[in-house]
Amino acid sequence: MSAPVGLEAWTGEGVHTADIETALARLRAASAPVGAAPNLRTSVMTHLAWVPEPWLDRARAALAGMAEAHPSRTILLVPDPDSGKDRVDATVTVETYALAGVDRAVCTEVIELRLEGVRAKAPASVVLPLLVSDLPVFLRWRGEPPWGAPELEQLVGIVDRMIVDSTEWDDLPFPYRHLAELFPRTAVSDIAWARTSRWRPLLASLWPGIGDVGTIRVRGTAAQAWLLLGWLRSRLGRDDIELEHVEAERLEGIDLDGVPAPFPPGDPPAPSDVLSDELDRFGRDPVYEAAVLAVAE
Amino acid sequence: MSATAEHNPLAEGLRLRRRPDPCILVIFGASGDLTSKKLMPALYSLAYRGLLPEKFGIIGAARSEETDDGFRDRMKQAVQEHARDPFRDEVWEQLAGGMRYVTLDFADDKGEDLLRDKLNELDGERGTGGNRVYYFAVPPSAIGTLVAEIAERRASEGWIRLIIEKPFGHDLASAEALNTEIKQHFAENEVFRIDHYLGKETVQNMLALRFANGIFEPIWNRQFIDHVQITVAESIGIEGRAGYYESAGAIRDIFQNHLLQLLALTAMEPPIDFSSESVRNEKVKVLKSIHTPGPKSVVRGQYGRGFVEGEEVPAYREEQGVAPDSMTETYVAAKLYVDNWRWADTPFYVRMGKRLARRETTIAIQFKRAPHPPFEETASEGLRPNVLLVHVQPDEGVSLAIGAKVPGQGMTIRTVHMDFLYGGAFRTAMPEAYERLILDTVLGDGTLFTRADEVEEQWLLVDAIVSAWQRDRPGFPNYAAGTWGPPSADDLLHRDGRSWRRH
Repeated sequence: MSAPVGLEAWTGEGVHTADIETALARLRAASAPVGAAPNLRTSVMTHLAWVPEPWLDRARAALAGMAEAHPSRTILLVPDPDSGKDRVDATVTVETYALAGVDRAVCTEVIELRLEGVRAKAPASVVLPLLVSDLPVFLRWRGEPPWGAPELEQLVGIVDRMIVDSTEWDDLPFPYRHLAELFPRTAVSDIAWARTSRWRPLLASLWPGIGDVGTIRVRGTAAQAWLLLGWLRSRLGRDDIELEHVEAERLEGIDLDGVPAPFPPGDPPAPSDVLSDELDRFGRDPVYEAAVLAVAE
Repeated sequence: MSATAEHNPLAEGLRLRRRPDPCILVIFGASGDLTSKKLMPALYSLAYRGLLPEKFGIIGAARSEETDDGFRDRMKQAVQEHARDPFRDEVWEQLAGGMRYVTLDFADDKGEDLLRDKLNELDGERGTGGNRVYYFAVPPSAIGTLVAEIAERRASEGWIRLIIEKPFGHDLASAEALNTEIKQHFAENEVFRIDHYLGKETVQNMLALRFANGIFEPIWNRQFIDHVQITVAESIGIEGRAGYYESAGAIRDIFQNHLLQLLALTAMEPPIDFSSESVRNEKVKVLKSIHTPGPKSVVRGQYGRGFVEGEEVPAYREEQGVAPDSMTETYVAAKLYVDNWRWADTPFYVRMGKRLARRETTIAIQFKRAPHPPFEETASEGLRPNVLLVHVQPDEGVSLAIGAKVPGQGMTIRTVHMDFLYGGAFRTAMPEAYERLILDTVLGDGTLFTRADEVEEQWLLVDAIVSAWQRDRPGFPNYAAGTWGPPSADDLLHRDGRSWRRH
């Protein structure tokens, strides 16, 4: 991965969509050398991220790591319903990445919108005019979604895939019941589930012996523990498998009836790489959905 | 859900890559440039991504004396110089741990016995189970003997796959003879005739472009396409390969393999699936349908002195090792017809050569003009026909030339390009062709390799063209280095009221 070769930015308060489009066009034009062909716009996706203020730094860091791999239009929605103002403030950034062999670059567009006051309750109306036509729309929801709230309902209605990280949620497994209600409406990815992907093939390699497992002991996050339990229950068609969970910041080990399972080689991927992988998936994941349903209470 | 021992329910939904079997790769001709510049960097990149089998070994075999350590050191340097990935000691150590070298005269029984012993020893150490990939980076004349020796020493356990580099023969007779020799010992699905162009992402993208998009196939025929131009241009000369090039020329070096493969992929019917047999069946049908061009439809050329990128370069006949009166062609252009329902009367203009103005491989599909543009003639003076241009290299991607109104008063129309550049959408580095092809061989997938009947059809066409060349002696050199070839190549299209694409 290389650093961007160019960076142009614009900031505005109380803006309208047209202001943002104008700024983007101007920044894209400014990002190319005078007299040269204009830089290419993204042709891959629109990436929405619902990022309450406490998550903002982490969201920016993850985006910085994946901007080059997925040259997309990213729209960061930062809700601020209690600001006392009713307006949208915007920071628009265009980063350019060189294309090998040609004198042109591809632009990554990042639009950070602070939705203040009532604007935070109508996010779809703000982002709909900014979606890149005919390209898939991904929504990364930071933290636990406000199940049933208008902002969630609206955004789920306009995206092709919603990406959550149930590691960020409290009181698991109860929120999975709400998540499961979204499955018929949009494809869902869970970064907590993605972080078990290095382990599941190793567990699968223990078939058929693993078919009789009674207890799975997981040293990792609660989300990983519940999802692995749900996976075993749903795949094996058994609801009598028990879970023992030992809290750890990341998945460190799995025991099956007291016997350690094989450990995947190498280091776990960086957060931006995990998110980047999820952005390469398009359809629903029936295995994940079944795992969630198996532990949703 | 009932879980049976035969069906692993936990495997469902896992994105499991097909795991290649453990095996040993033997490279015949391991002292050559191909091994150090292409094969070993490709193997390193596969190892870097964890795509090689865990149990894997490499044996380099060549005439020159070298120790195991010497071979490893040389290959390490090659990887550091030519691999596309950063050098990581742990990746290299894993790869180098299974690396050996055998000094071997290809026709020598003793050398072959030594190789067999080394293979057995490595099988024991690495657990490779008798599976072998033999890579023949050697002249065609050495292949027959080697194949027989390998067959003679074939163990009862494990599979064998043969990767055979181009040129596969020198003409139809020699290719048939080589196929016959190989078939005496090995089945067709054990033979992988490599044409590295087929390993290029952009060449495979031709299949995606045509068969994954509903908009192209309906107009991919004689009704809508005026003609097709395929260009395989190199700006380099023969790079010290006079010995090979003097007997091959452009027609055997490029036309017989890369160019005809590009044409076949462009003209083929949709295969019923992406299996090796389905894809190759369709390509063979195209090759069988190519009408043998008459002498007036083929132009050959040879470069004289000239300038490439500002640097003066010698004429072909002045290159080291080339006869001063050489009649070897360094350029070929031809008008070909594919005689079938889809393409009848639609010319495929192809050209390839060395020391041309720039390096470029493109497939240009030129569509027929709009039948009745309702604009004044002057309004569309700058308008050219629609062209779908597939850039194989460099600038990998696809562009479509369309007419657009020039902003301002009145109606003036100009041609503009809509571009898809690979690097603009997919930021991951594209794998080298050899990575894909070596991995496919280890996995036993022959889709991107040339089948026996395919290679014979290619030679049949080449023989027909070359036989006509015996009857005349063109005045060589007939184009200056750094230009787009001889004027007669332009005439080939001008006679039809067309011209080569502008660059």
